[in-house]
Amino acid sequence: MGFPATRQSVLERVGSADEGVRRDAFGDLAAGYWKPSYHYLRLQWRLAPEEAEDAVQAFFATAFEKQYIERYDPAQAKFRTFLRVCLDRYVQNLRKAAVAEKRGGGAALLSLDFPGAERELDEMAAAVADPDRFFHDETVRFLFARTVASLQAACAAAGRDIVYRVFERHDLAPAPETSYASVARDLGISVSQVTNHLHAARRQLRDLALGELRALSATDDEYRREARDLFGLEIEP
Amino acid sequence: MTRLADDAIARLRAAATWPALPPDRYEIRRPLGRGGMGAVYAAYDRRLEREVAIKVSNAPAPSGPLEARLRQEARVLAHLEHPGIVPVHDAGALEDGRWFYVMKYVRGATLSQHVAAHAGEAAALAVFERIAETVAFAHAAGVVHRDLKPSNIMVGAFGEVLVLDWGVAKRLPPARTEPAVDIDDAARRSPPTAESSAGPATASGTRMGTPGFMAPEQQRGDAASAGPAADVYALGALLFWLLAGTPPATAEGAARGLAALQPRPSRRLRAIIGRCLAESDGARYPDAAALVDDLGRYRAGLAVQAHPESVLERAGRFLDRYRAFILLLAAYLAMRAFFAWLRRP
Repeated sequence: MGFPATRQSVLERVGSADEGVRRDAFGDLAAGYWKPSYHYLRLQWRLAPEEAEDAVQAFFATAFEKQYIERYDPAQAKFRTFLRVCLDRYVQNLRKAAVAEKRGGGAALLSLDFPGAERELDEMAAAVADPDRFFHDETVRFLFARTVASLQAACAAAGRDIVYRVFERHDLAPAPETSYASVARDLGISVSQVTNHLHAARRQLRDLALGELRALSATDDEYRREARDLFGLEIEP
Repeated sequence: MTRLADDAIARLRAAATWPALPPDRYEIRRPLGRGGMGAVYAAYDRRLEREVAIKVSNAPAPSGPLEARLRQEARVLAHLEHPGIVPVHDAGALEDGRWFYVMKYVRGATLSQHVAAHAGEAAALAVFERIAETVAFAHAAGVVHRDLKPSNIMVGAFGEVLVLDWGVAKRLPPARTEPAVDIDDAARRSPPTAESSAGPATASGTRMGTPGFMAPEQQRGDAASAGPAADVYALGALLFWLLAGTPPATAEGAARGLAALQPRPSRRLRAIIGRCLAESDGARYPDAAALVDDLGRYRAGLAVQAHPESVLERAGRFLDRYRAFILLLAAYLAMRAFFAWLRRP
């Protein structure tokens, strides 16, 4: 038994001859990177909220249409850095042309929670000191936010909300002096149930997070590097 | 979807790799540290009602080299029953395939902290002798540590010295007449079995050790030939570090550094360190036991193997060693002479 490798890498999927696989790959890319991209455009490029929304939508649509991602060379840079540089260039070009002309391109607009992303800006620093660091941190933050949301949904779908509630109280947002006993007391369950639920939640969290990471990594090597950096785990080839 | 704060992300990262041990036996309490091979956690053994430390592999696959290395470390530790080596209590595999072993929770100070509180040559030699004795025991048992350095030494609450982190240790073949066998290298060449399907973790060409404490043969990436003499080099570097506060850059640099120290270590002690740090492994002490013997001779005021003495040096050492007796004898002879002078006709 090992850590899961649930999906192919992005590069493999965007290069697929199957249009559906390609479209799904771009969907995963957009799902994992839209929010860091939005925050980056708002803070680094100082775009207005509507401009940033349009730019993010248009960027992923154009990347799909013009095959930006297929040009990525793993020997040159990290995929995240490549994506950020593409975004920079895209915005530079965008400023020379009307956003509306760049939109669409055969790809449907994504349903993204831009008002939610905008609200998060209130909690963030006013400026970006290091663009690469910022994009990395925001990507990791969004990856975990999506993972936690997936965990909550999976627990609810399995009729095991209690697993998520234990996880939430002990790991996600613990009150000061939280212990197995205090969580057990608060939720009216035994301490051994708390440890069992936590075990299940943590394992599912790891599997979901690695699955997300796998889908957002351009290559197998990058996936292994990211897993090592993020979790200290060695994923066997 | 709410925005996660940095501390929440740190908790989630820890939670995602939190080892799932049998909850009726072990309660993981906090992470103590993470290295390239695995993470160490403080835990509580419910059955035996004591604190323990648990090391968990970073890699899950049963055939992975990291997991094989952790197994190897646990087996080496279990094989070496010595007060200077942390005992292993338990070992096994987690549900996700990661390997773990349970060991004594060591309370005490790092070697750096200990040295800061106990300065001087005598204190340095006292702690160094314990380290060298532990390594000598390992060599006698056919094990080479290969990564001796200050951060791998702890001094316990009762003054006991513990040599830690045997993760890159190597077992030698029983007969020293054959070339040393790197277990991982051997595992690579042998047909895989259910028990030993590990890939190479220390193939030749791999650097193992820490700069400043690494023998020249290790620096060259010749891991396979790093035998007991490589540990002797690291012990010499450790003794230098204990006296000078920094690791030696080269043997010549060490000689200059020791000569410049105030108070300056004796020529014999400098020679002992110099022999440990010799470029060629054949010019060093063959193993830690030989070093311990020579150090014992030095502390007893006897001639050391590392330094052939001149007649003057031998006389000086004789005077130094028997100083009290010689002074008493001189005083006695002086009194006899004085009384003889008084009684002169």
